[in-house]
Amino acid sequence: MPAALDDAPAASFKQRVAAALANPDLKIAIDRTTRTARQKREAAVADWPGFAPARDLGRRIKDHVIENLDHYLVEFERNAAASGAKVHYAATASEACDIVIDICRKTKGHTVTRSKSMLGEEIGLPHALDDAGLNRVETDLAEHIVQLAHDRPSHIIWPALHHKREDIAALFREHHHTPPNSDDVGAMVASARRELRPSFLGADIGISGANFLIADSGAVCTVTNEGNAELTTTIPRVHIVTAGIEKLVPGLSHAFVLLRLLVRSATGSDITQYTTFHCGPKQQGDRDGPDEFHIVLVDNGRTRMIREGIKEMLRCLRCGACMNHCVVFNEIGGHAYGGVYPGPMGAAMTPVFDGLKASRDLPSACTLNGRCQEVCPVDIPLPTMLRGWREKSWAQGLEPQVQRRFLGLWAFAASRPSLYRFGTGLAVKALRLLGRGGWISNLPLASGWTRYRDFPKPAARTFWQEFDAQDRKREQ
Amino acid sequence: MSVRDDILTAIRQSLGAPAKPPGAISAESTALAAESAQSRPELPHADLVEAFAARLTSVKVVGASVDRIARIEDAPAAVARYCKTHGLGLALALQPDPALAALDWNGFELHAAISGDEAIAVAKARWAIAETGTFVFHSGPASPVLLSYLPMHHLCIIEADRILGHLEDYAIAEAGAAPPRNVNFITGASGTSDIEGRLVRGAHGPAFLHGIIVDPGLSEPKSS
Ligand code: SF4
Repeated sequence: MPAALDDAPAASFKQRVAAALANPDLKIAIDRTTRTARQKREAAVADWPGFAPARDLGRRIKDHVIENLDHYLVEFERNAAASGAKVHYAATASEACDIVIDICRKTKGHTVTRSKSMLGEEIGLPHALDDAGLNRVETDLAEHIVQLAHDRPSHIIWPALHHKREDIAALFREHHHTPPNSDDVGAMVASARRELRPSFLGADIGISGANFLIADSGAVCTVTNEGNAELTTTIPRVHIVTAGIEKLVPGLSHAFVLLRLLVRSATGSDITQYTTFHCGPKQQGDRDGPDEFHIVLVDNGRTRMIREGIKEMLRCLRCGACMNHCVVFNEIGGHAYGGVYPGPMGAAMTPVFDGLKASRDLPSACTLNGRCQEVCPVDIPLPTMLRGWREKSWAQGLEPQVQRRFLGLWAFAASRPSLYRFGTGLAVKALRLLGRGGWISNLPLASGWTRYRDFPKPAARTFWQEFDAQDRKREQ
Repeated sequence: MSVRDDILTAIRQSLGAPAKPPGAISAESTALAAESAQSRPELPHADLVEAFAARLTSVKVVGASVDRIARIEDAPAAVARYCKTHGLGLALALQPDPALAALDWNGFELHAAISGDEAIAVAKARWAIAETGTFVFHSGPASPVLLSYLPMHHLCIIEADRILGHLEDYAIAEAGAAPPRNVNFITGASGTSDIEGRLVRGAHGPAFLHGIIVDPGLSEPKSS
């Protein structure tokens, strides 16, 4: 089990969902960010006629890499080593953390700056660094907020999405040396800049992730907007990269195709402010840059994903579009998922990390509306994967007895058409009695949902009633 | 067996197919790279200088402005113009590039080492990319990385014949060359949307980016 989940909320998924639904602030905070994200992505896609062919090409580039992953891993390793990088391999999360801590000890580092990396979160690196007694400084603004609040990221692009502006201002007033004098977002960003600059300048070790690993040069590509990645990777004596093995691409041109897709899908921009390729340590005559450059290549379940039949998951660019467009994520937020990766992609991957038994609720908490796959820039069949996990969970007998019984009851009714139609007709009538306008604002047995949100009132008739009526009309 | 070999074996076994010969893999990879020409975004102008300038000043690039000069010798005057507009002094960090050092910086207070709270840095970019409005820097003895990240105002000089069309053109232009420690693609000023998705500039890097295009085709300097 990845170390990051050691402090995962012990409560069950249902309890976490109930807590999330009962928190009115959370819904406001999620909506403020995901609505903007959806609008900006849509505009960016509409602005680029080549999006559809590029998406298809991006998918095929990723599939080509997955089919030849061992080839590209070896090629990358050879070129990275030639550039002066030290390449390490880790099969599991804890192995990866051990390698990083070991490098920190050997290089006698104390202050460690980190730029945001989902792989780092996945392997539980923040905790491992703290436990090793290192002075960890998160430099991405959102990760800085998460560190001050002592909580966990709730989104892969906007990790602090669950915090409202007002809460962040309060947090900064409490922790910053020269805090912002207003709740204005600009003042808050300036305050974080002041606060973090000395840490950048004084760090011994900088740790980053990777958006792409370029096989034909051994370079590591990071994609950011704040400029914190370059300050993190240039100033300290040692730069350590932790990256999943699926981040490989054959060459620069392939990376650019995926970059266009990634950035538009994530933030709606065409490119981020900073796209940097790091190749080896400081070279002779260079004015800045680290003396040592380490790359830790991590499997942690990736080869298992191939074995489990979900190798398409390795196409994932970590853009976050699937969660921004997910009706479930938008109601419950990222923490309720319990794993490091929330939303549809999280629900598809967490069973590999935590085992299906512990996470079988996640694939079930999905409406299978297909939106996630539609917006995914590399066409990952997320609904199919989630359905696959449900089937596995059923086949392995992991579903609770009462669910099995209810489903049995349903199967009994569904195979008897008149009984089924009678039952659904009754249910629709009952639900409509509760609704006003198009919505139901108070639903017995589902008050956790309806306290802060409405439930759509069902149509006046069931599908079969409507069908029969139309049929009768036609016959007349 | 080492962890490395375990992973390589696990990959091959999980895929359940034999490895392809390297020649076939590289042929496939070359074909995929070539295909990207079909989906690249269109440039707003056929002329690369115009396309780049238009892009740089569009809403798509955060916090950027542009000036055009006919000769590199006019760069100090363009820098002075920018400083005056923004009410800045004339103390700045200058990239230790021989071509820049050879210019007449009379009236400026120059330093090569960049400080943690530098106000202005002036540097010559290696390439620019019209598609995205990007400046490309390679780290090296004459080009420290931090010049692009520590200052509040980042002034980038680019010669017209170094402006490329698309991102892939950079890959073609540098094909076969030994890569530097850092290749930095810089598109506008630093920014963040981490608080409620609202964009604020000047996160950790510069809050302003100013492009100075050296275009011999231009007789009169013009600003926008
Ligand atoms: S699954 Fe697709 S949409 Fe979701 S984060 Fe990954 S690439 Fe983006």
